[in-house]
This record gives sequence, C-alpha cells and structure tokens, in this order.
Amino acid sequence: MTPLSVFNDLLYGLGVAFTPYNLLVGLAGLLLGTAIGVLPGLGGTNGVALLLPLTFKLGATAAIILLASVYWGAIFGGAITSILFNIPGEPWSVATTFDGHPLAKQGKAGVALTAAFTSSFIGAFVSIILFTLFAPPLAEIAIKFGPPENFAVLLLAFASLAGLEGGDPLKAILMTFLGLLLGTVGFDIVTGQPRMHFGLVSLQSGVNFIVIAIGLFGLGEIFVSVEEGLRLVGVRARLGFREVWETWKMLPRYWATLVRSTIVGFWIGVMPGTGATPASFMSYGMARQFSKHPERFGKGEVEGVIAPETAAHSAGIGGLLPMVTLGIPGSPTAAVMLAGFFIWGLNPGALLFKEHREFVWGLIGSMYITNVIGVILVLTLVPVFASINRIPFAVLAPLIVILSSIGAYATNNAILDLWIMLGAGLAGYVFKKLKYPLAPLVVALVLSDMMEQALRQSLIMGQGSIGIFLTRPIAAGFLLASAFLFLLPAIQGYTRRRARANAAR
Amino acid sequence: MRRAEVLAALALTLVAGVLVREARRLPIAWTGTGPGAGFFPFYLAVGVMVCAAVLVVKTLRANPAKSSAPFIPERAWKPLLIVILPIVVMLSLMDYLGIYIGGALYLGGYMWLVGRHRWSAIIPVSVLVPLALFFIFERWFLLPMPGGAILEYLLYKR
Repeated sequence: MTPLSVFNDLLYGLGVAFTPYNLLVGLAGLLLGTAIGVLPGLGGTNGVALLLPLTFKLGATAAIILLASVYWGAIFGGAITSILFNIPGEPWSVATTFDGHPLAKQGKAGVALTAAFTSSFIGAFVSIILFTLFAPPLAEIAIKFGPPENFAVLLLAFASLAGLEGGDPLKAILMTFLGLLLGTVGFDIVTGQPRMHFGLVSLQSGVNFIVIAIGLFGLGEIFVSVEEGLRLVGVRARLGFREVWETWKMLPRYWATLVRSTIVGFWIGVMPGTGATPASFMSYGMARQFSKHPERFGKGEVEGVIAPETAAHSAGIGGLLPMVTLGIPGSPTAAVMLAGFFIWGLNPGALLFKEHREFVWGLIGSMYITNVIGVILVLTLVPVFASINRIPFAVLAPLIVILSSIGAYATNNAILDLWIMLGAGLAGYVFKKLKYPLAPLVVALVLSDMMEQALRQSLIMGQGSIGIFLTRPIAAGFLLASAFLFLLPAIQGYTRRRARANAAR
Repeated sequence: MRRAEVLAALALTLVAGVLVREARRLPIAWTGTGPGAGFFPFYLAVGVMVCAAVLVVKTLRANPAKSSAPFIPERAWKPLLIVILPIVVMLSLMDYLGIYIGGALYLGGYMWLVGRHRWSAIIPVSVLVPLALFFIFERWFLLPMPGGAILEYLLYKR
C-alpha cells in the first residue's frame, strides 16, 4: 500500500462518484438529508433507516452514496433549526443551540449559520482526508484478523459504547446484551437449528433490524415529541453574500478551535458506537475550557457554534471508518448503513477494499464531492430549508408514522413487522424516558451474528478454552483495552466519591 | 418515575428469565462440534437478567425524594393516546384499508383532532400526500405495499 496507490484509488473513486447518476443520487440524498435534519422528530438515523428499503433497486454503490449523503445533509441541516428556532433538529446539534440561538436573537443569525456550515464543512473535509489516508492501511491490518481478534474488536466496540455514553453504564451493558440477544432470534448461524422463536413460525426468520431501528428511533421519537408538545418560535433567516464573506474573514482567528474540534471529532467518531452527538458536546466543553473568555459562552460566542459543528461532522465521517474497514459501525447511523450492506449482498469487513473497489472508493470519492456541494447548497438555500419548519406538527407526526410503516413493511412484506415496529416504538419511548441508551441496542443487534460467529469459532480453535484470547497478542491487547473502558465509569465514580469525601472533610 | 424505573427493570428481569428458558431448549454446553446452538443466547439472557436485577436493587436503594415526578405527566396522556391508539386501529384494519387509505384517514383524523385545521386544508393534504406516496412507492420504486381490500378492488377488480 503505497501513497501513490491510495492517490490512484482516490482518483478512481472520484471518477465513480462523478458520474451523472451518482451525482444525482448524492444531490437527492443531500436535499432529503437536510430536510430530515431540519425537521425535529425525524433524525438522521431514522431517515437513513426509512430510506434503506428504497435502495434495493439502486445498486450498492449508488445506495451507499445516497445514505451517506442523507447523513451529511442531516448534519448540515441540524444546525439550521438549532440556530433559528432553538430546537435541535438532531441530537448532535443540541450543543449548537447554546450559542447559536443567542447569536440569532442578537440579529446575527447569518453569522451563526455561516460559521456553523463552514466549520462543519472544514471538519468534514479534513476528516475525509484523514479517512482516505487511514482506511487502506487499517483494512490491510484487519484482513489478517482471525476470529479471536474479531471478537476482541467487537468487544472493544461495545466497551466504548458502555464507557462513553454518560448515564448509567449498567444500562448500556444491559442494552448491549439485549441487542445481541434479539439478534439470536431465528436460525442458529452454525448448526442451522431454529431457536428463540417461542414456537412461532414467523419469528424463525429472525427479528428484522430495520424494523426495530425504525420503531425505536422513528416512532419512539414521535411519542417523546408529542409528550413534550412541540412549539416553534423562530428567528427569520436571511443570508446575504456579504454576511457570508464577513464571517469567512473572521474564521481564521479560530484556527486552534477548528483543528482541535476536528481531531476530537474524528477520534470519537472512529471509536465504535459513539457518534456525532458525544463529539459535539465534548468539543464544546473543550472550547470553553481553552477559551480566554469562558464567560462569553452561552451568550452568543461564535466559537461555541464552531466547536460542536466541526466535531459533529468530523465524527460523522470518522464513524464510517471502522464500518468500511472492520465491519463495525462507528455510530448508530452507521449501524443502519451496515445493515444495508447485507441487503445489497456485500459482506462488511476487511475484504471490502479488495473485492469491492468501486463501492468503497466510490463512497470515499462521493464524500469529497457531496460535502462540497452540501455546503454550497445549505448556504444558498437556508430560507427554503428553514421554511420546512412551517409544516405543522399535526401533519408531520402522522406523516412520519406512515413513512415508518412503509419502511418497516418494505423490508419483509410482512404485516407482523408493523406490529413489531409499534412494539419497538413503545419500548423506545419507555427506554428514552428512563435513560436506557438506544445506541448500544441497535449496534449490538446488527453485530450479533458476527459476534457469535467470532466467539464460537474462537472457542473451537481453542478447543473450548478461553485461553486462546490471551495467547494472541492483538486479541489480548484489545481485550485489555475493553476491560479498561468497561471499568472506566466505575473508576471515575470512585475517584469522584473520594474527592467529595475529602472536600466534606 | 422511580416506580416506573423499578417496574421496567423488573419486567426486563422477567423477560430475560423467559428467554433463558427458551435458550435452554437447545444445547448450551460444549457439543461434539463446539459450543451448542443455545450457548450464546443463554449467556446473553443471563447477562440481561443479572443487569436488570442489579438495576432493581440499585433503584430501590436510591434516594426516592430525587425522582418524585410521575413517569408520564398527566397532561401528556391525552396527546400520547391520540397518536398511539389510531396506529393500533390502522394496523388492525391493514387487510381492508391498506397503508394508503388507512394512512389518509390517520393523517386527516390527526389534523382534525390535534391540529384543528380547517377542512379546506385537511381534505387536500390527506388526499394528496398518500396519493404521492402511492406513486412513489408503488409505481416508481415498485415496492408492493399492503394496498388493502378496497384499493385492490378499485385498481384490479379483485
């Protein structure tokens, strides 16, 4: 793997992405994604899940370009509602509301929007370059992994989910187990025996991942929004060329924040299971800590918009890195995309780079192109996208329910799936209210088969002894890292309690 | 909130227990060809059960004063039921109404009940939106949706 071959592959990928068909697909994805990002109650993960059934007919490369573009669009779009309406269209734009909306109320909506889009674009673009450089060597290493290494990497993925979510780690672990368990319903992958079906024939084909994801994220979100009672009070948006130019001239001053947020975002994105949301919060927090004027944060500091937006988009890109190279989704949205791989007849994992060059490099090439188009699109179309929010909630909520039903039905053509979707929606509502994290459940459900296969093959290799994980250095290293991540919340809790006890004394 | 927390954890413990039983119907130990088919689900179900049981104990031991708010606020019941119950009705009638007619009724009903929109808005929206969806999914993407007995009869005289 020489730098030159990476460059050649990239040129090839840009060529794939630049065909009229793929460009059109990318543009459609961006427009849809931005609309999804603007609409509260319809998230990026859910938007991707809803579109998944539509991609059956597109062909794998166009399909992944569509879904990825929807994701980029949603990340751009999330900022619009955060700044103008103080309502985050997406969880990863919550941190953008802190300073974005105060700016808008001071009449600087244009500055906030331009800063958000531009920094988001810069974060994305640098991350795509990092992605291009890191992906091929990582795939090269991953190709040598045996079952024990695969199992250890998967465990690391779950460990970082449990450790980084915030909230109760025990709940995250429970949700991981539950997701893996749901994945075992149907046929045993090794012996072919039907299992966990409670005697129901319709359960023997397994629990469909897309149906669960649509229920949890789509309906669950709607139920939560209905309960909270949505009301939109917005600031009007106008974005003139002069405002954009003035803001751009300001941006180089914030180079340190941009660099830091990009790196933080990319790193958190690559960590499996976490995504744009924790990245945006962490980056915001760091920007305030490093700032000379932390007291200005929360009252309309441009840096408070730049930091979370850069990190969110950067993490979105980074989240696709383990998905493409190892077959492990770096974020819930990536998990939904990964589910698509199976539908399109691709096996995720290290072999993708060798066997599906068009798919992988087409995706990478399209990331460059769609993000350039995306930033131009949102900068020019802000008023149009902001007006989407005039759709009354009484139309939006039932529309999302109908679209969810269509998406859930299309995967298997089974009415039972619609009931499972409703059940998952109610469960999602309860889980959300009780702060059981949904991301581990969804990621685990997708990875269940891979995890089980890796574990059982490893055990067969070790003739029933778990010693096999400890004698192989790479696997042992990953296991050690996962153990550390699992224990991290407990350690943090302990030191915090100690500190409090000391302070009390 | 606390009661809901305990109940949810208890329910999860119970569900996990049922799943443990289901997993044990297949060999969970080492067989001639490696771990049996029930091995993975069995230990996962045990894992869920242990986590949920610990959560029950943890919540019971926590300070109850901190979480006195009800799980679902009183004012939220009505809007929640208005969303959920019609979905149940729509799914039950899926064989007859299908997704398009059922969806149109759901959309129109919701606009009328919750949005208090005028009929001059409700009728065009609840007719045009499902119609657009019909053309997108049924005609353009050729994804067969449950059309329902009524639509089947109207379109294909079946």
